[in-house]
Amino acid sequence: MMPIFDIAIIGGGIMGCGTALRLAEGGMRAIILEQGDIGQGASGVNAGTLSMQIKRVKLMPYAIRGHEEWQHMGDAVGFHKTGGYTLAFNDREAELLHERMKMKKEAGANISFVSPKQLNEKEPHLAKKVIAVSYCPDDGYANSSLTGQYYRKKIDEKGINFIEAFKVTNIRSVSDGYEIASGDRAVVASRILIACGGWSKHITAMLGVDLPIRARINTVSVTERAPQLVSSVIGHATGLLTMKQKENGTILIGGGWQGKGRPEEGRGQVSVDSLVPNLQLAKFVLPALSNIRIVRSWTGFEANVPDFYPLAGALPNRDNAFILGCVRGGFTIGPYISKLMGDYILGKEPEMPLFDPGRKMEEGKLI
Amino acid sequence: MTGGGNNHILRSKEISFIFDGANVTAHEGETVAAALLRAGITHLRNAPNSGTPRGMFCIMGACQECVIEIDGRKAEACRTTISEGLVIGRVPGV
Amino acid sequence: MFDAIVIGAGPAGANAAILLSENGLKTALIDEQRDAGGQVWRAKSESILEASITDAGEQGDALRDRLKSSNVITKFNCRVWHIERLENGHWLLSVVGGVEKKLITKALIIATGAQERVIPVPGWTLPGVFGLAGATAIFKEHMMAPKRRTIVAGNGPLLFYVASETLSLGGRVSAVISINSRTDWLKSLPAMLSNPSLIWQGLKWIFTLNKNRIPIYWQHAVKSVEGENMVDGVTICKVDQNWAPVEGTDQYIHGENLCYGQGLMPAVEATHLAGADHHYDEKLGGWVPTIDQWGRTSVAGLYACGDNAGIYGALAAPIRGSLAAQAVCEDAGINIDRKAEIKKLKVAIKFGLAATALTIPRSGLEALITGETEVCRCEGITRQEIDFEIKTGAQSPNAIKSGTRCGMGPCGGRYCMDSVALITQHRTKKSREEIGLPTARPPLRPVTIDDISDDLDYDDLPIPGVSPL
Repeated sequence: MMPIFDIAIIGGGIMGCGTALRLAEGGMRAIILEQGDIGQGASGVNAGTLSMQIKRVKLMPYAIRGHEEWQHMGDAVGFHKTGGYTLAFNDREAELLHERMKMKKEAGANISFVSPKQLNEKEPHLAKKVIAVSYCPDDGYANSSLTGQYYRKKIDEKGINFIEAFKVTNIRSVSDGYEIASGDRAVVASRILIACGGWSKHITAMLGVDLPIRARINTVSVTERAPQLVSSVIGHATGLLTMKQKENGTILIGGGWQGKGRPEEGRGQVSVDSLVPNLQLAKFVLPALSNIRIVRSWTGFEANVPDFYPLAGALPNRDNAFILGCVRGGFTIGPYISKLMGDYILGKEPEMPLFDPGRKMEEGKLI
Repeated sequence: MTGGGNNHILRSKEISFIFDGANVTAHEGETVAAALLRAGITHLRNAPNSGTPRGMFCIMGACQECVIEIDGRKAEACRTTISEGLVIGRVPGV
Repeated sequence: MFDAIVIGAGPAGANAAILLSENGLKTALIDEQRDAGGQVWRAKSESILEASITDAGEQGDALRDRLKSSNVITKFNCRVWHIERLENGHWLLSVVGGVEKKLITKALIIATGAQERVIPVPGWTLPGVFGLAGATAIFKEHMMAPKRRTIVAGNGPLLFYVASETLSLGGRVSAVISINSRTDWLKSLPAMLSNPSLIWQGLKWIFTLNKNRIPIYWQHAVKSVEGENMVDGVTICKVDQNWAPVEGTDQYIHGENLCYGQGLMPAVEATHLAGADHHYDEKLGGWVPTIDQWGRTSVAGLYACGDNAGIYGALAAPIRGSLAAQAVCEDAGINIDRKAEIKKLKVAIKFGLAATALTIPRSGLEALITGETEVCRCEGITRQEIDFEIKTGAQSPNAIKSGTRCGMGPCGGRYCMDSVALITQHRTKKSREEIGLPTARPPLRPVTIDDISDDLDYDDLPIPGVSPL
């Protein structure tokens, strides 16, 4: 029988590992239970964009702090501050861009507008049909595929226990807290933190709690190595494109186009009906992409709730149970909000407010 | 590339194409890979990361080592049929 | 919309397609090569106007003739790059190289054959190193052998075929380096006797080698390939029972070409992408889709036949195609009875299994992959980097891939992930089954955006609701 841990964290992504690291600083003994490999879920397969321009207004202060965390992690996660442009190609998009960026600027992001000519000087390979451009010098990216390597090293250094390939099959209350089982293996901990992204709904249900968690299935593609074509992170006014060229020459293309599948059924699948327009849009923006080969496309689950704000706090109606997830922009914000979560579990006042998972949620407006 | 050894082989007419600026002779209907092998050209490109020389390897369209450029488009030498006057370039290193 | 689509026009796939079509199913047969035959019965190039007849050529021609006189809709030079199962159970194939970009079918048979296992050693990326199976492709399609001297190395029967064929096509062979010992071969003989004609063929190969005084180094392996910009020669060494190199046994062999391979593995990328369950069976060559005796996979409407469902070889392939076709017909409510074929299959697989047994990797093999060897050709990732990643905690192909970029290049990990698993097995003592396969992702082969889409009319872009502010 394993010793009783202070807390069992279900999910070994950025949220779970980040919280575990904070808890370790506070002297709490955590064990991370991960169904696959550390950092290989959404944390490791997202497009790695660290852009203020695509963050929600209310989450901007968290994103700014998250961005600082990534900068601090630096080379170990392939951090690059490249600056980022968001492009509009017609009046509707230009209007949208102005309206949105104004509010994001007010929320603290360092965003300004530049002329298409200025854009062309900096990024000569982009399509010339741009009519409006916003710019944020802080934007950049990290290499999400290094997330697992980074956090595994960190939690190892801190002596935090973790078990990979531990697919939770049952959770029950025991006198000392919770017993979390994976087949015939079981771990007992006084507290539990659910931090398993798209899989959280399924896990909270094991605790008898029903939260309106849904999962988006975001598609990302990468090209073979290409000559230098773009040096900044490129976005689209609608949010339907993110593009960046890595140091090795590969170009990463995202934008939240939806694949197929459900978290309970595996890792999701790329759908050609959304992949093709995603790539067409990318080629429209960067015409030279036409003869560069796509070598891989994949999907990752991004969890959300109807109001598109995070779940970060105590799980309703259960003692010593917590949840952290559904953070829109979770890759950027994750390293920071997980610290807040750690503080909260340690009984300290977090420096910024968390998001009560038991709140009433209304469907967020789509513009 | 050697002929047919003890086999009796009648090949199609000879044509010429250009590889990396040089004239190369081939038989009409051959793949680019076969034509280059016949001409003794095995070094087709340099690896984009290490710069080390590479040539055709799997010869069945899987390994992507024999990628060449025709009219600015990438093609697998092992799956591309040669035609008279074809201009083939080495994929530029990155 | 098709009743059935078969991917792969080798002996298994083409035979399945012909039978399906004969039973009234609207059937398409897709292959990335320019004609049917697969690798084993690969069609001759159009540049060959006349040539002496070979067994493989005859069998291939017969298959191609049957196909031409059938109602099968063939799509050659056509590549499937994505496979999706639709909600109604039909299959959506994304293809390049044809008129259409999408094909839909009720039943999908995957007959993508084998891929070669090649153990990386220093210098294996040099121009002039070819896969053994790759060499056979050149022989069969173009009837020529590489210029100057060829060294043939690896295991299994292909070794002797490649060496002997190089000679008969007028090439020169420096040496044959067989990791199998003579005893390995003697042990496999009883099972191989199930097919006397193939044994006879094998003896002819050996006879050709002896007649030409080609040295055969039994129980030897290539330790490294030497040369600047092309192959100059190879350093070989003796190996022990487990195929680990024996120190102090190095020899240098000159040659300008190296045909090199360690056996065939099922090419499971398509069945994996389509969502079928797979398991590891070394006797079958590695990872195989889990199928019933007819070829039904774990997913309804998805079938597998031929070497991609386990390396049984060319003899078994047409029979397996028939069985899969029968399963498709039966599931579509058409009755055809080919149960007799199951008996034939039992005989036919004996030879294939014995040949595959000669190629099952042994525990010492990983020792040939030295620290500085580039395991991932595309990304130039060395054994050292992979070892380090495993040592620091990466336990699965996905984790190793993410941490090192191994397998992230244009070949999609086809030529490194098996070696990565071999190294992981050695380091972690986990079974291949536990180590698992990396997640299957499209495209099955690299595609350009131009290949897969028409030009965009910007206003037609399907823009879903934008993200919340």
